[in-house]
Order: sequence, then structure tokens, then C-alpha cells
Amino acid sequence: MHWDKLALEDVSMTFNPGSAGEYRALDHTTFSVARGEFYCLLGPSGCGKSTVLNLLAGFVTPASGTIRMGARPITGAGTDRVVVFQDAANALFPWLRAHENVEFGLLIQGMPRSEAAQRAQHYLDLVGLTAHAQKFPYELSGGMKQRCQLARALVLEPEVLLMDEPFAALDAISKRIMQQELLRIWQQFHITIVYITHDVGEAVLLAQKVAVMRRGPASCVKDEFAIDLPYPRKPTDGTVTATYAKVEASLQEEVGVSLYAA
Amino acid sequence: MPPRVTRLLHQAAMATLSIALAVLAWAAFAQYFAYPDLVPSPWSTFETGAQMLSSGALAAHVGVSLQRVLVGYAAGCAIGIAIGALMGRIPVVRQLADPVLQLMRPISPVAMVPLSIIWFGIGDMSRYFIIFYGVVIIMIMNTAAGVASTPNIRLNAARCLGARPLQIFRRVIIPSAVPYILTGMRVALGFAFMGIVAAEMIAAQSGIGYLIMQSRTLLRTDIMFVGLVTLGVLGALIDTCFRLAIDRTMKRFMEHQVNV
Repeated sequence: MHWDKLALEDVSMTFNPGSAGEYRALDHTTFSVARGEFYCLLGPSGCGKSTVLNLLAGFVTPASGTIRMGARPITGAGTDRVVVFQDAANALFPWLRAHENVEFGLLIQGMPRSEAAQRAQHYLDLVGLTAHAQKFPYELSGGMKQRCQLARALVLEPEVLLMDEPFAALDAISKRIMQQELLRIWQQFHITIVYITHDVGEAVLLAQKVAVMRRGPASCVKDEFAIDLPYPRKPTDGTVTATYAKVEASLQEEVGVSLYAA
Repeated sequence: MPPRVTRLLHQAAMATLSIALAVLAWAAFAQYFAYPDLVPSPWSTFETGAQMLSSGALAAHVGVSLQRVLVGYAAGCAIGIAIGALMGRIPVVRQLADPVLQLMRPISPVAMVPLSIIWFGIGDMSRYFIIFYGVVIIMIMNTAAGVASTPNIRLNAARCLGARPLQIFRRVIIPSAVPYILTGMRVALGFAFMGIVAAEMIAAQSGIGYLIMQSRTLLRTDIMFVGLVTLGVLGALIDTCFRLAIDRTMKRFMEHQVNV
């Protein structure tokens, strides 16, 4: 199917409408992600980042507005947009070995076992889990769990990867390694990535475009920064730090307290 | 010696000691405090038991009781899991069924004995029903809890991997509920054993419950004790087998499930 961009058009989202717990998460949000782009959504916690991701994934439907992939409105979940969750322990199937987790999506499509195993093996190799294919998720480290989730998504050859703070629970070094791996995979597959984070540094190192969201409730995308810097980016490069400063200034306005107060 | 063997030996030794101490206490009580007719000594109980074993009488009663337990238990598990799964997935079913279940839960299988005799007569059907009743409620409750507790994020993961609702149910929700279901089955097994005795105390001509009841009429406390000990041994034995079978075959579902 041909499509040029993935877009939220004037989307609003309200939880528990009409009740005492009514909460307006998103208010007239509009933005679009070009095909093949690495797009970061950045914002303070509670700003509705995950709501945007759930909308793009088709897990929830908006109160108003439309979500489109090219001309086609998104009305439900599909294997063209696979999510990599932060909480890998719950997102992976704990009773399946790593390779069985990767085979899951293929087998439910009705692919023969041997073919599914072969494909899964290929993607396990790709994410560096070859030696751990027989392990259960609980036997994998945090980084390896995320590699497993990546393989499980990529094996379905999706058009879009939706990533919800995928490396937020990792230690600082594993996180940097996984970021490099992700960039490598992105460049190899020319896949579209929508990446949610609250980490300015991560956004600036990874994304071609960073969208900063307003603080909730009634959030929306308030600024977009195109980052036209070559990869790999070094956090210490002057151009990178300058971009960091710009993005952080925008984010600072949305954080209730000063990030620089002594 | 490997530490695992040492630990097993230690456990076995402690178990033996525990039982030996209990038998000793029983013997002392029978010897010094109680009338022999009221509390038979361990030795006379074992002697009676051995006689009943060699004559085949005990095995016959055990066989009949086990068969009744099996039928009622299997039916209770199957129907309980089915209803519990529906309750766990469909909110309106849960909202309608839960209040009734909460009212039924305190009604013990024993209380259902007279009713089941009126409904099903004095044949085995009425005994199946009593056991079924004890098992089915706990299986509904546990299955519903397990099915409802599947993490949302896991359901969403399955959805974006292309799973359709029935596939999600079979391949994600049921496996996620396995620890709850198996725990329920273990507890329900104990209930089934309590139910069988109640069911056989009235209007039965065979079974362990009948054996215990009949020995009262005959004032044969030694036979009664044989019945009681048999119940204990049988229950513990089956529970152990059940646990070992779970460990062997269901390990991947039982361990390291988050939120369990």
C-alpha cells in the first residue's frame, strides 16, 4: 500500500467522558510523520505521549479528528504498525522462549512452523540474540528483552515502528548501545519510527524531527524541531549541544518547576 | 553429596520425623488417656487396615470414592473454567454472575446434600453433583480472576502482532490465566475430597464416607480410623502428584509471570 505520511489531524481524546473522572488528554493535536522518518515525541510525564502512540497503534479511537496512514484512516491495530513497549516483561509472552516470542506473529498468520522458525532466526541474528534464542524472557537482561521485542516487531516487516520509551528502563550504557542498534536497524530497513521519550538527549541523538508536547491536560504538539545532522551523532559535538539547548528551552516551558534551580 | 540431594534427604527426614511424632502422640494418648474403644491405638488401626487391604475391601471403597471424585471434579473444572473465562472477558456476564456467586460461595457442599438427594435421588448422580458444586464455584472464581488479570499491555502487544480476538483468547489470555486456574484446581481437589465424604455419609452403600459412617453404627472406631487415615493419605498423595505434574508440564506458565 502506498502512503507518504502518518498523520494525526485535529485529534482530541477524552477519557471517562461525562463522569467525575473526565480527563481531556489531547486537544486538537495535529502533526505528521513522513514515511521513513525518525520522529521523536518529547514531553513531560502525563502529557499524553502514550495516548498519541496508542492512537497511532489503533488501540484506542479518538473522541474527534482522524488518524491517517496516507489516504487510509487508521481504525484498529495492524501489523503494519508494531509497538515496542517500555515494559518488556509484560509485553513479551513470559511462557514463550525468545524465538517463540518472535515466531508468534508469523504463526498466527498461518505461516508453516519451519518457515517461521527460519525467519525468526534471521531477525534474532539481526538484533544480536542468536545465543539467547532458547531463553525465556525472565532469563534475558533488560537490553536483551528489548532486542527480543524489536525482533518480534521487525519479523513482521512493519512499515512503522511505534516505540514507547523503549530504553527508559535500561542503564545508561545499555541505553546508548541500544540507541546505536536502533539507528543501524532504521537505516538498514528504511522503516518509519515514532519514538516517545522524555529524555532530551535521546531525542536529539536519534531523531530527524523532535516534537515537543504541551504539559497535560489538553495537550498537543507545540513545537517541532527538524534536526538535520548526520549520524552517528556525538553528544559532545557543538551542533548537537546547540540543538539540545533549543529543544530543552522549549521543554522547560512545559515543566512546572525550573530545571536549573539550585 | 550435591546440595540438592542433601536438601531432599533433610526434607524426607523431617517429614518422617513429623509423622513418627504424630503416631507416637496418638499411641500415648490411646494408651494413657482414652478408653480403647473410643481411641484405637495406632497398632490396632494398622492391623485392621492391613486386614482390609488384604481382603480388598479397602481398595474397593477407595476405588468407588475416587471414581465419584473424578467425575464430579472433571465436570466442575471443565464447566468452571468455561464460565470463569466468559466472566473474565465479558463485563456484563461478570456483573450478572458475581453477586450470585458471592451468595453461593458460603454454602458448603455439605449443605447441598439434602437438596441433591431430592433432586437426583440416592444414586451416584447426586454424589457427582455435590462434588461438582464444591469444585465449580472455586474454579469459576479463580478462572475469572486469572482471565481478568492479563496485563493490558500484553493484550495490546498481541493485537499489533496481528492476533484476532479468538487467537488472543487462546494464545494469550488463557496462558496468562494458567497459574490462577491451576491453583484453583489444587484447592478444588481438596474441596472434592471433603465433598465426597459428605456425599457418601448419606444413602451410600460404598465408598470411604460410607465406611466411616458404617463403622459408627458398628462402634468400630478402628475401622473409622482406617477410613480417616486413608482419606488423609489419599488426599496428600494426589495433591503431591498434582504438584509434581504441574512442575513437570506447566513450568513455563507458572514461573516468572509478572503480576501473579
